[in-house]
Amino acid sequence: MSLIDVENLTLQFRTDEGLITAVDDVSFSLEPGEIMGLVGESGSGKSVTAKSLMRLNPDNAVYGPKSRIILNLDSGPVDVLKLRPGRGMQIVRGGAISMIFQEPMASFAPAITIGDQMVEQLLLHRKVANEKEATTISIEMLERVGISDASKRFGQYAFELSGGMRQRAMIAMALSTRPKLLIADEPTTALDVTIQAQVIDLMKDLVADFGMGIVFITHDLGVIAQTADRVAVMYLGRLVETGTVRQVIKTPAHPYTKGLLNALPKLDNLSAELTPVPGDIPSPLERPSGCVFNTRCSVSLGTPCQTRIPDYSYVGEGHEAACLLLEEEAVKA
Amino acid sequence: MNEIVNNGDNKQTLISVRDLAVHFPLRGGWFAEKHVLKAVDGVTLEIKLGTFFGLVGESGSGKTTLGRALLKAAPISRGTAEFADGEVDYNIAELKGKELQDYRKRAQLIFQDPYASLSPRMTVRDIIAEPLEVMKLTSSRDETNERVREIAAKCRLNLEHLRRFPHAFSGGQRQRIAIARALVSSPGFVVADEAVAALDVSIQADVLNLLKGFQRDLGISFLFISHDLSVVAHICDHVAVMYLGRLVETAPTDKLFSHPRHPYTSALLSAIPSLDPDDRAGGQKLEGEIPSPTNPPPGCTFHTRCPFARDLCRQEEPQLREFDDDHFGACHFAEEFDFTREHGGRAA
Repeated sequence: MSLIDVENLTLQFRTDEGLITAVDDVSFSLEPGEIMGLVGESGSGKSVTAKSLMRLNPDNAVYGPKSRIILNLDSGPVDVLKLRPGRGMQIVRGGAISMIFQEPMASFAPAITIGDQMVEQLLLHRKVANEKEATTISIEMLERVGISDASKRFGQYAFELSGGMRQRAMIAMALSTRPKLLIADEPTTALDVTIQAQVIDLMKDLVADFGMGIVFITHDLGVIAQTADRVAVMYLGRLVETGTVRQVIKTPAHPYTKGLLNALPKLDNLSAELTPVPGDIPSPLERPSGCVFNTRCSVSLGTPCQTRIPDYSYVGEGHEAACLLLEEEAVKA
Repeated sequence: MNEIVNNGDNKQTLISVRDLAVHFPLRGGWFAEKHVLKAVDGVTLEIKLGTFFGLVGESGSGKTTLGRALLKAAPISRGTAEFADGEVDYNIAELKGKELQDYRKRAQLIFQDPYASLSPRMTVRDIIAEPLEVMKLTSSRDETNERVREIAAKCRLNLEHLRRFPHAFSGGQRQRIAIARALVSSPGFVVADEAVAALDVSIQADVLNLLKGFQRDLGISFLFISHDLSVVAHICDHVAVMYLGRLVETAPTDKLFSHPRHPYTSALLSAIPSLDPDDRAGGQKLEGEIPSPTNPPPGCTFHTRCPFARDLCRQEEPQLREFDDDHFGACHFAEEFDFTREHGGRAA
């Protein structure tokens, strides 16, 4: 059984300028122990999608009437969007789902020790007898993520740790409640490459150990290639391509995915020209009609692409992309 | 100190740095020993006219400080840095008054974050015109407008863009505005400090191509500071690698990537996540983190993280040595190990 099923997720923000569509009819599911990479430029809606899983979006967010986020817990399925605010959300937030962020300094309280923050959430979310037990669990967890001198770090504040160490502590804190699903929002973007490599290895180890599912948000396709089992590519709130990591990176089907890969510097061919995706991502207020990518697409068919929203075409086993060109090919074949 | 001999192509040297150090004093007690933070220590390098010179290293390696020292924006505590573009010949450490003003015109800086580096209260036209007005490079408003329009067009900004405020632009467009501002005084030397780090990959390629075009068409020399080796590999002609304030290796780009002469360089190379999902071994990972520059390890500063370290590395600091044409490295055992192979052979 899948861990989480997202069906027809649509999310709009009410603003002074009107309704802004941030996520548009997105569906995917995630198996336990699976790492799904969610890729896209800034403004593509990847963070908003991930935050919807815990309903962490601000109050002006309006979910579409057909949107469902079904979380399959041991006690049975739960629709996250139907949970009551406040206490009702506790089984999800910090319970079944944990989240780690890009900037660990911003996500730890600066004036409370790392240890106190870890103990507090353990007491809240996991059936832990007392503070002493919670302390033991926390220190074990800090050791597990490779923090040396864990009992000393337990009593320190976030500012006393280095960037890489902070991100490890963050991961330890997120995993100590034994979540079923971990949302990692650009967890390595602020780190140096050498530290990033360490954190990626750590996360892969932890999936093997704990068997939770991970939604891994990043704009770095190299990081995705190294971590994810499956990839979902987002553009302007729509899922344009999904598939296994090999399918999407080695045989991309959507022009946007191809564009992203071409824009990337490749180490095995230093003299290759870098080809940017032309133009900029449009403002969410000026959402293109038809295929959202048509304004920047180099193979756009013109009017058909500007008027019709493409369906998902079958590219391979478990590999789909939403592009009219693929639909046409399917008709011809 | 090692003399870096000018060989290879006989381009004129634009910036020549000898044993450069930037030390910041740290607060100490009255009787306690005064500590200094050696942000840059004993760096020697040459930047040829018209090259795209890459400077890489982890955070804390001193690459930004070195870039700023070359712009006389960080105090030089020891050594010399000479700037000679054919018209003027300046000793950067001693610049002041009129000469410093003139140097500001010739050497400019592009910042990392285009969201923080542009004033939200100024129109794009005013942002780009400000250097001209401050440095009094134009005599009339018409002339200013002319220069602004000219450089804006080169950065693919149109007249309509010039009337707007920065908030109306995307990250890539903002960075193009920042580039226009840096280039409006027609500098010959530009320090680009992580100029594409905050941009999406799709936009990053666009800005890199733009900068490369300025090097090709206007002959501008760039010092491109970055932590992203794959970007550096693509855009730079020559690369220098820094670790804890010291230069550990410098070479033409292809040589550095095909045959690194320092274990730190090869570790950085192998840490780049490969785009191939079937290549997940990822070579040898560097353990630990960069030590604090207030208390650098004795001997070779890299020995605490180096998989090849021996006793000599803990005692004696290696000097920068030349291996072949223009390829310098600072490792005692560079000849004994093939770092590329040891690290999984990821390099090109």
